Amino acid sequence: MARANPAMNRKSPLGWPFGIVMAAFAAIQLFPLLWLVDYSLLKSSQFFGASILIWPKPAQWANYRIAFTAGHIPRYLTNSLVVAAVTIFLTVLLSMMTAYVLTRMKWRLSSFFYTLLVVGLIIPLHATLLPNFFIFKQFHLLDSYGALILPYVAFGLPFCTLIFCGFLQTVPRALEEAAVLDGLSVPGILVRIMLPITRPAIATVSVFSFLSSWNEFIMALTYVRSELYKTLPFSLLQFTGQYSSNYAAQAAVMTVIAIPSVVVYLLFTDQITSSISHGSVKG
Amino acid sequence: MHRMMSDKRTIFLMMAPGFAVFFAIVFIPVFVSLFYSFTDWDGISAYRMVGLHNYRELLLHDPVFWKALRNAFLLGGAFLLIQHPLAVATAMILQYCGRAEKALRTILFIPSIISGFVTSKMWVQILSTQFGLLNRLLDAVGLSTWRQDWLGSSSWAIASIIFVAMWQGFGYAFLLYYTGVKGIPQDLHEAARLDGATAWQLNTRIVLPLLQPVIRTSIILAFIAAFKQMDTVYLMTQGGPDNSTQFLATYLYQKAFSINLYGYANAISVLFIIVCLLVTAALNRMGRQEVGEF
Repeated sequence: MARANPAMNRKSPLGWPFGIVMAAFAAIQLFPLLWLVDYSLLKSSQFFGASILIWPKPAQWANYRIAFTAGHIPRYLTNSLVVAAVTIFLTVLLSMMTAYVLTRMKWRLSSFFYTLLVVGLIIPLHATLLPNFFIFKQFHLLDSYGALILPYVAFGLPFCTLIFCGFLQTVPRALEEAAVLDGLSVPGILVRIMLPITRPAIATVSVFSFLSSWNEFIMALTYVRSELYKTLPFSLLQFTGQYSSNYAAQAAVMTVIAIPSVVVYLLFTDQITSSISHGSVKG
Repeated sequence: MHRMMSDKRTIFLMMAPGFAVFFAIVFIPVFVSLFYSFTDWDGISAYRMVGLHNYRELLLHDPVFWKALRNAFLLGGAFLLIQHPLAVATAMILQYCGRAEKALRTILFIPSIISGFVTSKMWVQILSTQFGLLNRLLDAVGLSTWRQDWLGSSSWAIASIIFVAMWQGFGYAFLLYYTGVKGIPQDLHEAARLDGATAWQLNTRIVLPLLQPVIRTSIILAFIAAFKQMDTVYLMTQGGPDNSTQFLATYLYQKAFSINLYGYANAISVLFIIVCLLVTAALNRMGRQEVGEF
């Protein structure tokens, strides 16, 4: 994938017209988001003006200040970070152990459990919202970090386990055999050998878990009512009453939610690409 | 080595945590749903068993349920006929963009990486009737007669939802095909060029057939995504106006959390899962054909 593409780049009578078409297309795709960021820096009144994109002069950073206070961003941001961090940790840990057992260890029900995971990929999480709401209520889990972390881990587990399985299948067993001769147990193999070797898969799974937890809101909306545990998307819902017409501050909130995802994407483009293409292989 | 690798206790200890969470959150709720789908539970008072009553109502007397299924097919069809051909073409053309290739690839995926919460709310503003960006754009280019109440009229609302879902999902579709195109060995490009193939021939006769497996899985993923659609609809129209944009997920959510018809909503949940399993199985079977190795 990282390979250069000499067939394409060398001769290029075709190059730039295509480049322009694609650039235009990309610009159209990106335009609404640029508008959003632009808008978050304007005065609310300019929303109703005639022009489409206005250079913010001066930039209304006050919108962001309002967004932070009115949108309760500090508290919700902290919650989002806590939930994401624990979700990543647990997803990596659990899916790696599961994948190791499914690919390396020999037992009768291995393929049965693998199939269960694949079925789990198909089950829509929305169909579990209602029963889980009552189950969580029963166990006093509603309004807690657990009400978010547990489902995020559970629904991430099948996909992430398959990523680890795919990766482990490419790792030769010679190292583990040597390790066993040296007297290492299975947990020892996992920590001393698999942890360093599977680092690319760990990165992929971490980025995937971060994004799905950060961007999630329907489960949060269902399982969390208390101020204490609300995550970042809720800050937009704070804009009712006196702030409901402050569109610029709302745009600022949306920008604040979107930026971490984009930054993570720019930093980990390769991991994200590999997790996406995994989806196509494993379907 | 062998004995250690089939040690039951180790296997159990390592599988248990993951599958405990997985069963508790994914599988057990399905059976809870199944049980309550045979009741007339409203969440408060005692419930009675009503047998298959909820299912009969849904399948025989509930036009909204069928509309939700129709909408899922519409969205899936739009993915199949508009989004995916566009994504394949983009993936192929992007190879010819030289130095801009990497930047363009990155930009095209950005809408997909942002929370559906943000993008849906953003589109609500863009499509709003009076001051929405789209209507203002139409004014600006002298097409004021094209102004619409994009989310307020039944026929435009579903079209708008489909458009936004395609916009948001385009990055995923594109990236799948792009990695597919990049995965085709350079030798094949070289060989084709030596044989005098034009770029058009190369792409239609060699790249496209070799993309078959990627196309198949991507389309399966797209259709499943269409049936699982919730976020965009929930945030943009809540299924309205007049249930015209209802999808299975939003419909069940409405029945459950707005009008407390828990028994009925659970029946929708169960049918929802069955539909997803059926669609996956059907698409898997349909798309199964052999493609040459490379």
